[in-house]
Amino acid sequence: MDALKKERRQLEEAGARLISEACKAGADSAEVCGSFGHRNKITLEKQDYHLASSDEGYQLGLRVLRGGRQGFTSTNSLDPKELKEVALRAVEIAGFSPENPFFTIQSNSPQKAQPNLNLWDSALAQLSLQTQKDWVEWMRKEFLKDNRIRLNEGSLEVSKSLSLLVNSKGTHHVESETSCVWSLMGMASDKDLLTSFDYFSHLSRKALGIGDTIISTTAQFRESLLKNLKTGEARSYRGLVIFSPRAVLDILLDSLIYHLNGRVLLDDSGRWKLEDKDKLLINSAITLVDTPWLTDRFSCGLFDREGTPTEESELFSEGKLKTFLLDNYSAKGLHQTSNGHAVGGASSIPTVGSHSLCLKGGNKPLLTLLKEADPSSQGVLWVNRYSGQTDPVTGDFSGIAKGGEWWVDGEFKYCVKETLISGNVFECLGKNLLDLSLETQVVDSSGESPSAVIDGISVTTV
Amino acid sequence: MKQLADTLSLVLEKAPCWAEARFHRRQSQSLQVQKGRVKQAKSSVTAGIGIRCLVDGAWGFSSTSNLSSTSIEQALKRAFECARSLSQVKKATVKTLPHTTLARGEFVLKGYEELQQMSLEEKMNVVVKAEAQTRGRSSLIQSSTCGYNEQFEDKIVVTTDGAKAISRLCRNEMRLSAIAASQGEMSEGQHTVGRTGAWNCLFTEHSIDQMGEEAAKLAVDLLSAPKIPGGLATLILSPAMVGLLSHEAIGHTVEADFVLSGSVAQGKLGQRVASHLVTLCDAGFVEGHPFSGGSLLVDDEGVPTQNTMIIKNGILESYLHNRESAAAFGVSPTGNARAWLYQDEPLIRMRNTFVLPGNQTLQEIIESTEDGYLVDCPLGGQADATGEFMFGAQKVMRIEKGKITKLFRGATISGQAFEVLSSVDAVSKEFLLDLGAGYCGKGQPAKVDAGGPYIRCKAMIGGVQE
Repeated sequence: MDALKKERRQLEEAGARLISEACKAGADSAEVCGSFGHRNKITLEKQDYHLASSDEGYQLGLRVLRGGRQGFTSTNSLDPKELKEVALRAVEIAGFSPENPFFTIQSNSPQKAQPNLNLWDSALAQLSLQTQKDWVEWMRKEFLKDNRIRLNEGSLEVSKSLSLLVNSKGTHHVESETSCVWSLMGMASDKDLLTSFDYFSHLSRKALGIGDTIISTTAQFRESLLKNLKTGEARSYRGLVIFSPRAVLDILLDSLIYHLNGRVLLDDSGRWKLEDKDKLLINSAITLVDTPWLTDRFSCGLFDREGTPTEESELFSEGKLKTFLLDNYSAKGLHQTSNGHAVGGASSIPTVGSHSLCLKGGNKPLLTLLKEADPSSQGVLWVNRYSGQTDPVTGDFSGIAKGGEWWVDGEFKYCVKETLISGNVFECLGKNLLDLSLETQVVDSSGESPSAVIDGISVTTV
Repeated sequence: MKQLADTLSLVLEKAPCWAEARFHRRQSQSLQVQKGRVKQAKSSVTAGIGIRCLVDGAWGFSSTSNLSSTSIEQALKRAFECARSLSQVKKATVKTLPHTTLARGEFVLKGYEELQQMSLEEKMNVVVKAEAQTRGRSSLIQSSTCGYNEQFEDKIVVTTDGAKAISRLCRNEMRLSAIAASQGEMSEGQHTVGRTGAWNCLFTEHSIDQMGEEAAKLAVDLLSAPKIPGGLATLILSPAMVGLLSHEAIGHTVEADFVLSGSVAQGKLGQRVASHLVTLCDAGFVEGHPFSGGSLLVDDEGVPTQNTMIIKNGILESYLHNRESAAAFGVSPTGNARAWLYQDEPLIRMRNTFVLPGNQTLQEIIESTEDGYLVDCPLGGQADATGEFMFGAQKVMRIEKGKITKLFRGATISGQAFEVLSSVDAVSKEFLLDLGAGYCGKGQPAKVDAGGPYIRCKAMIGGVQE
């Protein structure tokens, strides 16, 4: 942490200057979200090394309120002259923006019971470029162990960063973190056969043990790509489909979260209302929690984009709605209290979002579910990844089942191409959800979900 | 800007290798009003310099937001060190960059000053009014949103082998959407436009009133529209949908970095990949359409942009190149290297991608369609290395015996790009670049445009099965 002392001081000074200039210019209240980041990144492309880069920079976002009107400006400069201009501009924008009674900059929030999060690892912060190169080489070699693999692009980035949230009402938070993120995108080819591309990314905040994790995650990804080389045909039908954890998160939970967004609720644009709390609204198999405190996930921290202490939120318990995702804006409009779900970076106005969703698994292993899903041995589609459109308002979705697999009588047969699926999210989360697998999976170091057996899906093939 | 360009030249004189310095300042402003409430009114500035070095065939990159000579020199040193370090492990080295005509001088697209002179307050007033009017168009409209974005881009690209280009342009976008609700059903309609140029460029095809009216009408009409049956079908794609097809299904597979990774277009130069009716281009500047959303005169490697003919009368003619891939293929760069911000390295990206118009009218094409669908109002899209693509459409209309008969709810269209293009049997005279509000994602965003005529083809609809 000592290594970022100077950067912390500069960030805090710039934040204080912005608030002071904004208040001098007529702001009633002001809030600064700032960040500093240093990253070393090595990228791979076309089976080989591509580029090494080393960068660092600041970002500062200023939000001001003046007579119930809001203005926002951001800059990546620490120059005092530029900061003054940024402050004046924010106040000017607030001056001509229509009033909105729900805008607010909050006073320092009372402390809540929170865990002791440590997102900083000195070993990672001081990592040598040589070690980073070694890690990339392990990843590259492991991935290309089979000559049918095509590496389209990949990267390994080691970074250390600071986040600042300070406002004119006494809120002052600083968090520091280190991270190592690696990712790969590629496909497999054999003679004239080329598979769909696929990708994965993984986050670690500690240097210890990273090498083994890089190798195991890369090997797992390679094998999943090679599996796609065995291809065959699906059939068009309407019925049971198995969604992978990634598909559950991308298709179903993204849309569900839209309707739990406090701002959507405030605008009366969602399916549910405050008084729906504790009502059984979706399938009773669904217990969904949003947690901000898992250090192996991308979104992790003790305070949110507005400085509100984060908390673990149970969103659904056995199908019953428990809470909405609220920031200060939506909370004020709904006469509620923020539960720490303001999200966004320093250069964007806070909005509402989730941290890391965890959907609780069911009681049966996935293999059992796959077998039970195909009692007549006609075959059933397993959707790995989804490339398509989902209308969060209606819940209708339609798209391609990427890397889809065809399972017959509980056994993998082959992967399918050019297979489209369509359905409705709320039917999938309601009467059409037949079961959830016992096993859950963390997808790309973000959400966690089991696989799901869903009925009523239209599968269309050539 | 000229002074800074000279400073960059002086710093690069000290480079022990091939080097490129790119200054980029972006000022962006965004307004968003929803249901009568201002959700967003913001202004952002990001400025800095990215330095790229090529050492023994390996790339190194570093950036700084500090514009002093000392800071730029330090960034140069870091970029050099990164490249030198990588050159020790890189297997295949980058060939010498091809000699090409590099841009020198000032390159300015129209509209920058004009758009800057119009105050943000004036723009806010238009946005507030447009949102209110859209919401008031039907009692079934539950919510509406109007959003406006603009970006002012100032760039300098200097390279040790001769580029010294100063460029300036502005881009803007307007988005109107409406959500209708009735008896438990909800639906959304939207209309978007994006241009490179002044404020008025946004409204050359439709006034803001018409945009709001269309978004509201579509939302209301879709409330009672049934879901579409899935399967292979004859489709007439609107210019915006043709733009999506050109960009997603073809454009990405012919980006030379993707080709080298093994995309479906690899090894297909000179081969027939589409119907003879199809000629497909990607251009930095489209004659007759100067305000296209992806316009730029010089790319981020200092290469003047060209009109690159990708497919000519159905034959694959060219890939899209930066200087590195051009060297690998032994051709000239096409001016497709683009970086989102100063701290990003330039990647091969599209600009304005389009199919050239044909000889028939849309009416003639509809009348000669026995059974099919007219597909319009694109949502997003994605493509694969295999050429398999999907894109969403909000509005799908049934055509029976040469007449439009029925509106369906939106659906996903999918197919294999070259197969779909090979099935094209009609191309309209009407032509529009209509995707200027879109952004392309490839690690970094990029502002692009795309379009074309109406074309008739065969593709899959991801609809419902009985």
